Order: sequence, then C-alpha cells, then structure tokens
Amino acid sequence: MEGVRVGKRIIGGQSPVTIGWDNIPKVEGGPVKQFVFTWFQPTVLFALIAFWYYAPNSIAKASTAIGIGIGFKVLLLCLEWAFPRHESWRLTWKELATDLFYVGLGYTILRLVEDYIGDGAMIEAILRQFDWDKFAWFMGMPLLLQAFLIAFIFDFGQYWMHRGMHNWYPLWLTHSVHHYITQLNINKGAVGNPVELFLIGLGIGGFFDFLPRAALLAGAFGMAIGTYQHINVRFNTPRWWRFLFNTTEHHSLHHSQDFEASRSNYSNTFIFIDRMFGTCVDGEAELLGMEGGRRMSISEQMTFPFTEGWKTMKEKWGKEKWGSRPHLDDATAIPAE
Amino acid sequence: MNSRFINWIWQVRGSLALAPGQTSDDVFDRLSPLFRQTGTSHQRTGDSLTFRKKDPAAQDKMSVFDGGVLQIERESAGAVLHYNLNSRALLLCFLAPLLFLGFAQLTILAGKFEKPPVESSDPAKKAQEEAKKARMEAAKMIQNPIDKALGAPAPEKPKKDKAAEEKGKKKSPTSAYVFAGIFAALYLVGRLLEGRLVNSLFRKKLAGVG
Repeated sequence: MEGVRVGKRIIGGQSPVTIGWDNIPKVEGGPVKQFVFTWFQPTVLFALIAFWYYAPNSIAKASTAIGIGIGFKVLLLCLEWAFPRHESWRLTWKELATDLFYVGLGYTILRLVEDYIGDGAMIEAILRQFDWDKFAWFMGMPLLLQAFLIAFIFDFGQYWMHRGMHNWYPLWLTHSVHHYITQLNINKGAVGNPVELFLIGLGIGGFFDFLPRAALLAGAFGMAIGTYQHINVRFNTPRWWRFLFNTTEHHSLHHSQDFEASRSNYSNTFIFIDRMFGTCVDGEAELLGMEGGRRMSISEQMTFPFTEGWKTMKEKWGKEKWGSRPHLDDATAIPAE
Repeated sequence: MNSRFINWIWQVRGSLALAPGQTSDDVFDRLSPLFRQTGTSHQRTGDSLTFRKKDPAAQDKMSVFDGGVLQIERESAGAVLHYNLNSRALLLCFLAPLLFLGFAQLTILAGKFEKPPVESSDPAKKAQEEAKKARMEAAKMIQNPIDKALGAPAPEKPKKDKAAEEKGKKKSPTSAYVFAGIFAALYLVGRLLEGRLVNSLFRKKLAGVG
C-alpha cells in the first residue's frame, strides 16, 4: 500500500484510507434526502442554541438537557438504522448491548467514583475557597461567548489529554482499549477501559455549574457537534462545518487500522484545535481497530491495560536482570503516536 | 438442579426440516461459510458439526454465539437439522440488571454516609460565608447588554427551596434503576431476535440464498 503524503507523513501505508474532502463520497439519493442530510447538522445546532438562549428560566434546566440528549441519541440511532454510512458498521444487538453497558457504567458507578476522587471533588474544594468578585468579568460577557469559552477550554484540555494518551505508554494502555472498536456507532464514544473513562471525564465542567444557561449552551455545542464523531451516517457536511468542527470522517481516520492515520484528529468538538497544532488530517477510513481489526470482549477490555502493562514490565525488568534490555516496541500495545 | 431449567437463558435451540434427499455433507457444505469466519473453529463428524468462536468480528452473523452443536437426525417425516447454540452475551445481558441494581444499592449506601456540610460556629466565619454567598448571588444576576437587547431571559434569583436543594444534592440511584430496566428489555429483545435471526440465517443458507 502506498499511502498519501500529508505534510511530512505518509497516511494509509498500512490500511486503506481516503484523504481529502473531494475524494469522500457524497450522500446518494433524491433531492429531499440530499437536502435533509446537508442541512440536518447545522439546523440542529442552531435550533439548540436558539432554544437554550431564549428558553425561560423554568425550562433552562439540566433535566431538560438530559431529556433532549436522550431523545437526540434515539433519533440518531434511528438514522443509523435507516441510513447506514457503511454496511460493515451496522449496529447489531450485541454491539448495541456492549455500547449501552459502557453508557450505563458512565451514568452510575463511574459518576459515583468521580464524586469522591474525580474533578467533582477537586472543583468543589477549589470553589469553596473562591471569591466570586474575581469571576464577575466572565459572567458579564455575552452568553454565547461564555458558552464558547467553556466548550473551548474543555475541549482544549481534552485535546491534550487525548494526545497525551497517544504519546505516553501508561496513558496509552488505558486508551488503547477504545481503539479496539471496529466500527463507529452513536454510543461507541462510551466504550473503553473504566480507568480511561475516568481520566477523560476529568475536566473543568464543574467550574461552570453556577452559570446554568452558559453551561447548557456549552453542553449543546458538545451534543450537536461532538456526538457525530462516532456516527454511522453519511452527511454532506458543509465546508465551514468540517473546517471548524470534528466530524465522523475525521474520527474514522483517527480510529483507522493505519498507525499514522490514528495519530491525527484528537479533539472532541473543535477540529480547529487540531489544525492549530498540525495534527488535523481531512479524510475518512472504513477499516478500523487494532491488530488487524480484532474485536475485544468486555472482559478483556476491563483487564487489558493491567495485563498488558504487567507483561511489559515483566519483559523490561525481567530480562534486564539477565543483562539484555528489550525494546518496549515489542509489546502488543504500541502508543499510536 | 437440572441445568435444562435455566439454560434457556443462554442457549438458543431450534430445528429445521431438510429437503428430501439432502445429505449431511450437502447441508454442512452449504452452512460452512458461516464457520469460516475470523476466530471460528469447527469440526464435522458424520451427522454433527461442533463450532467454537473466540472474539468474533462485530459483523460475524453468528457473533452472539460462543459455540454450539448442529446435529442432523433422520426421523420418520424426513431429516431434521437440530441446533443448540451457547451465548455468553445473552447470559451477561440477563445478569446485567443485577449489576445495575447493585450499583443502585451502592449509590444509596454512599448517600447515607454523606454528611451535611458543617456550618461554622464561629460568628465571624459565619458572617464571612454569608457575605460570600451574597456576592455569588449578585454575580449570578449580571447580564450582558447584548443578551438583554437580543431578548434572552434575565437571570432570576433562585427560589429558596431547601428541600429541593437537599434532594438535588443527594446521590440518586434512578439512573442505575433505568439501566437495570434497559438491560432487562434488551435481554428479552436479544433472546427472541437472535433466535429468529439464526434460524432464518440457517434456512437461507440451506436454500442457497444469501
């Protein structure tokens, strides 16, 4: 496989990828379908922004956001079922059950743990010492700017945490599990080792709980943009959208079986962060996963970082005793950057 | 206890009448593409075929099963293919509601151990905290003139509803109950759906369709 030169890198030398927006297939079908799948994403985004901007205080609550979030995911699941992007990514009962298991962990036990040792506990401790006068300048800014800054700061942190996971072996061990998914579906973002899910959940969200409307607007950005990362639906995404925001195309490349391709597109919501730091590659891939697309069982997903870490440590320290120093590269889980 | 009373949880059994004159070799040859998948091993001995799967691909049409036996029996009415398939995924899905009910209990337990924040007895400190609270309330009321001009609702002072506030702060097991329900429903759907799908898959392969 020859691959394509992108900057100094050859992308797609190990596994097929499509590079460049002009080479990506368009939505097939009649004018109505074309229209819907061109305007669906911007319409939902602007409708949500308008909703949270103008909703009366009695409606602008977290419970409403949860309701909208669930409804939106169900709608996207229906779209995946009716208009799959790739037949090879079709949601089966087993895939759905696996994905929902991880979604369930996120809403229950992980949330409980995060309350005690996650960002929730830390932020609460910091906020107790906080003097609100010093924050008035932020609260005096226009709502949309506040919302954008909350979403951007959060995504900026996520970008570096994610990039760190692809660069530093101990973090990669926890994140590698997520890269064993072999197809993208709406809930696949939740799939991963709980240690990684805990780490990726760390953020600054809790700092802005006291700004309900701005936090809800920031959440709407995440929902109406970030959710499409793991969707099995093809959209004719507008040019400005794919320049600013992460898309399923970008993220499929990140999940590609091609090592170099997986070293790109780290952001969650704003792909321009990747553009800023030179890690953005525009394109898509269908063949996803690690080790040639081996699907990992849930039990292996739970234990992999530990068993793999133990293996590596044994290899490193065990052999060193006998005078030879093995290469970490021999381990199965190689950091993807 | 006889395992037959409970193994319907993870076992899918069924049978298909074979066309008159169809030999075992012909039947298993037609079904063989299903067992030539990644991570699948199988063995044919006369009228029976045994298979095992490890980490099957997501799109493997039989990925929900970990192993099983297909047996051809010659009966008076003609030859019949009987199958008995095991699924760890179905068993785990059956047990998942128990796990989430466990999480619900854990959440309730954690809530019981949670102590309410201790109010300072020192009057100077108390006054300081009150002032801080007041400053926060005032800061929350700020609205940018642009938002005002565009007609966004002005921030409201939160109503002093202590009971609701306490309720909101308490750890809630609701999501764990919801997921227990989701997995109970998912099990029922999966048990029926996967049974039907595998039956139709075998039927189509035997008929030479798909």
